[in-house]
Amino acid sequence: MNVFKCFIDYSKEEKWLNEMAKKGYKFTNVDFVYYFRKAEPEDAIIRIDYRTFKKREDYINYCTLFEDSGWKHIVGTQWSGTQYFKKINDDTEDDIFSDSASKAGKYKRVSNMWLSMSVPFIPLLISNFYNGTIDINKILNPKLLYFTPGLWEKTGTNFWFAFLFETPFALLRGYSWVILLLVVILYVIFALKVKIIYRQVKREERAEV
Amino acid sequence: MNRDKNLPLTETTYYILLALLEPAHGYMIMQKVEELSNNQVRLAAGTLYGAIENLMKLKFIMPLESEDKRRKVYKITEKGKDVLRLDLERMQHMIEITKENLNK
Repeated sequence: MNVFKCFIDYSKEEKWLNEMAKKGYKFTNVDFVYYFRKAEPEDAIIRIDYRTFKKREDYINYCTLFEDSGWKHIVGTQWSGTQYFKKINDDTEDDIFSDSASKAGKYKRVSNMWLSMSVPFIPLLISNFYNGTIDINKILNPKLLYFTPGLWEKTGTNFWFAFLFETPFALLRGYSWVILLLVVILYVIFALKVKIIYRQVKREERAEV
Repeated sequence: MNRDKNLPLTETTYYILLALLEPAHGYMIMQKVEELSNNQVRLAAGTLYGAIENLMKLKFIMPLESEDKRRKVYKITEKGKDVLRLDLERMQHMIEITKENLNK
C-alpha cells in the first residue's frame, strides 16, 4: 500500500507512522510516496533524524551507535538526509534525542539544506534578468514574445494556426524564469518554516527548565 | 571579564569529556556517562552523535585508530583536558562561595 503525503513537522510524521504501524502497515521506504507492507499490527515507536554523511564510515558509525543503543535503522541512506529508526529495545527511552537543543538542531540542519538548495538558482535568476529574458516590457506587452513575422497582420484560420503554434514557445521564452523564481521562493519558505519549528522546540527547552 | 568562551560547559559536554579521559566508542560513552552521573544524565543516540561531532570540531576530543570498523573510538585531547580543569575551578569556586553564604 502506498500513500502520498508531505510533512514539514517531523513529530507529526512520526506520529502518523506509529499509527500506521498500529493498523498493521509496516513502513518500508519513502521517496515522495510512503511505501508500506501488510504486517501484524505493532505498537512501534518510530523516530526521525536528519543528517547526511560525507564519508561512508561516518554513516556506518552513526547507524551502529543507534543500533547499540536500541534503535534499528529502517529507512534512509548516506545521502537521503532523513533517517528513520524503530525502537527495538524495551529498556531504551522513547526518543533519540535527550535534550531539546539537539532535537531543535535537527530542524536547523533541514533548514540549511533548503537554503543551500535555493542558492544556485539565484545567479540564474540574476543572469536571466540581465540578458533580457526578464523584461518589464515583455510582462506588460506579451505580443513581444511572438517572433513570427507578420503574425498580428494575419486573419482567420491563418492567424489562429500561427498563433497557437507559437504560443508554447512564446510562453517558454517569456516566462520560464518564473519557474526559477518560484523555486527560490518555495525553498526559502520551507527554510523559514523549519526555522520556526526550530525556535519553537528551543523555547520548549527553556520552559522545561 | 576574561573568561574562556566555552565555559560553563553543559552537563552533556562535561560528562562526555570526563568519560573520554579513557578511550571509548559511542555506546560505551553513553553507558559511562550514565554511570559517572549516577543515572542523572542519560544521553540518547541522536544527542550523543551531535555532541561528539561538536566536540571534534572544537578539538576537545580526537578519534583513535580502532580495529572495530563499525565503531569509532574517541579520546580527550589536551585542549579538552584544559577546558575540563577550567570548568572544575569554576565549579569549585561556586561550591565554596555557596557553602560560605548559604549557611549564614
